[in-house]
Amino acid sequence: MMRLVQVLYKKEMLDASRDKRSVMAGLYYAIGAPIVMCVLFTILLKQLSSPDALEITIENPQAAPNLVRFLEGHDISHSEKSSVKAIRLIIDTDYAQDMSQGRSALVTIVADKSDNKLIKSVRRLEMSLARYNSEVAGLRLISRGIDPSIMRAVNVQTQDQATPDSKGGMFLGIATLSIIIALFYSAMNLAIDTSAGERERNSLALLLSHPISSTQLVLAKVAAIASYSMVGLILVLVVSKFAYGMVPWEQLGFSINLDLMFILFCTLIGLPIALMSASLLVFVSFMAKSFKEAQSYVAFVLFVPIGLSMMTTYDIATEYVQWAPIAAQQYAMIEVIKGNELPLMQVLLSSASTLVLFAIFTMLSSRMLKSEKVVFGL
Amino acid sequence: MIEVIELEKKIGSVQALDKLSFKAEDGKITGLLGPNGAGKTTCLRTIFGLLQADSGFAKIDDIDVVKDSMRAKQQLGLFPDPCGLYERLTPREYVQFFAELSGMDNKSAQVATQSVLEQLQMTDIADRKCKGFSQGQRMKTALAQAIVHQPTNIILDEPTRGLDVMSTRILRDLLLMLKEQGHCVLFSSHVMQEVAALCDHVVVMTNGKVVAEGSPQALCEQTQKETLEEAFITLIGSDEGLAA
Repeated sequence: MMRLVQVLYKKEMLDASRDKRSVMAGLYYAIGAPIVMCVLFTILLKQLSSPDALEITIENPQAAPNLVRFLEGHDISHSEKSSVKAIRLIIDTDYAQDMSQGRSALVTIVADKSDNKLIKSVRRLEMSLARYNSEVAGLRLISRGIDPSIMRAVNVQTQDQATPDSKGGMFLGIATLSIIIALFYSAMNLAIDTSAGERERNSLALLLSHPISSTQLVLAKVAAIASYSMVGLILVLVVSKFAYGMVPWEQLGFSINLDLMFILFCTLIGLPIALMSASLLVFVSFMAKSFKEAQSYVAFVLFVPIGLSMMTTYDIATEYVQWAPIAAQQYAMIEVIKGNELPLMQVLLSSASTLVLFAIFTMLSSRMLKSEKVVFGL
Repeated sequence: MIEVIELEKKIGSVQALDKLSFKAEDGKITGLLGPNGAGKTTCLRTIFGLLQADSGFAKIDDIDVVKDSMRAKQQLGLFPDPCGLYERLTPREYVQFFAELSGMDNKSAQVATQSVLEQLQMTDIADRKCKGFSQGQRMKTALAQAIVHQPTNIILDEPTRGLDVMSTRILRDLLLMLKEQGHCVLFSSHVMQEVAALCDHVVVMTNGKVVAEGSPQALCEQTQKETLEEAFITLIGSDEGLAA
């Protein structure tokens, strides 16, 4: 039984290794993705880290000299330079009068809040104004003989427990996403070639005419595809290790460091995913009637694992999704990079369900190959 | 021995096989003769268990191909149409792969591959990739694949297409040698000379049915014609398909 699988596996590996161009095309992802990510992170980091001095346009500053001085104390100042942010702070003409009479004085912030680049600066300005507000209000209460702490029914204190590493959540999400996707993309061409391609070249019928069962045939093909997926995974891990080393993490005070332990861990949890991905790709390719059709379906089907992974990346995974295959493994990868405790239960369960999926897809493909319509693409 | 009993198979709306029955004996070359679209390939694919008959059954050495397909397939060598070559492999790798797939171990597959390549005079192309092979070279590679594991029964689907004179002669000698060794050889063809020169037994089929069978001489006598070609036309009732 295993002997025939082995014979076919050997042939698939040899055949694939001869098809250098399409194998390389798959592996380019593994080499390219980390480098692209590295460039992207560098740009993102520059954007996210807002400079210490915030320059905005303050209209009618003479009406509120104290406020302007307070803001300057918090590094927010009026400027005419080109580096000024597109935020306007308009001080009402009646500001001084309202203030002196103890009424609510109007200041207006004008900014595009949908602009991600501005949002941090706008929040900073709002925070400073809120602080100024409570300071002035406190003084007013004192002048009326009231303890200002009466205004603070709840004393909210936040203790930031974020370690530098855990701050880079989104970066970690994207980095691990790109690693997991490598498992799916590196062997995509091979998967289509070895199933839909085999049928198109008329060798599938010949294979099935030999004393090999369709399950053995599917297993051998899945094993060969998964092997190439694993090559892609190891490649992406190694390239990532060096590429992420070049990103200026210190700007955010954390770093993504892929050590050997992490690489080994990924290889281990990547194996069930590679088998599952290979069996899924084979199943979809056999379902298609032609090579081209298979290419379209495969590209489409790959949205599912990517979607699962995205949920973890952007931290929108619900409690249930966190236990789903791929999402859970990625979550575990992130925890390992952060240096947190490994969610062992989650890893074991999701790996088991990944293997169940592999078994189901393999079974479905093998059952499909018993149909003459599938074998001859009728 | 290959036996086909009352095979029926509908593909789409076409009755491809219509109660087809015949027998190919060991130590004989049996030719399946018919015009294009007669159902020859469908019949051979059913024998291999690749197509499932609607009714009737096929037996190989008395083993039902549906009930015990693995054991039945072990007794078979197939030369398919189209060849189904792996363009990126060399004939040696290709033939050895199928030898091992048919159950030979690595060592004996290697030896068998070498001997079949020599037998078919392919040693000069044995280690070149199949990509870019001429039709004749492709046919030889496929043929080597079919006989490398020395199956008792050998089925060839249109084996002479695209072969030059030399290769045709090699094929002919080879089939005769297989017959000498007691193999059962079943091949489909629409080339009369080939069939007339080689076959001990001819099964003439059209529209999925056997219209006549017997030795080439017997068929000529039956129709009172000089040549098998004329006998064939008389038997199928038209000259359709002969142009191919």
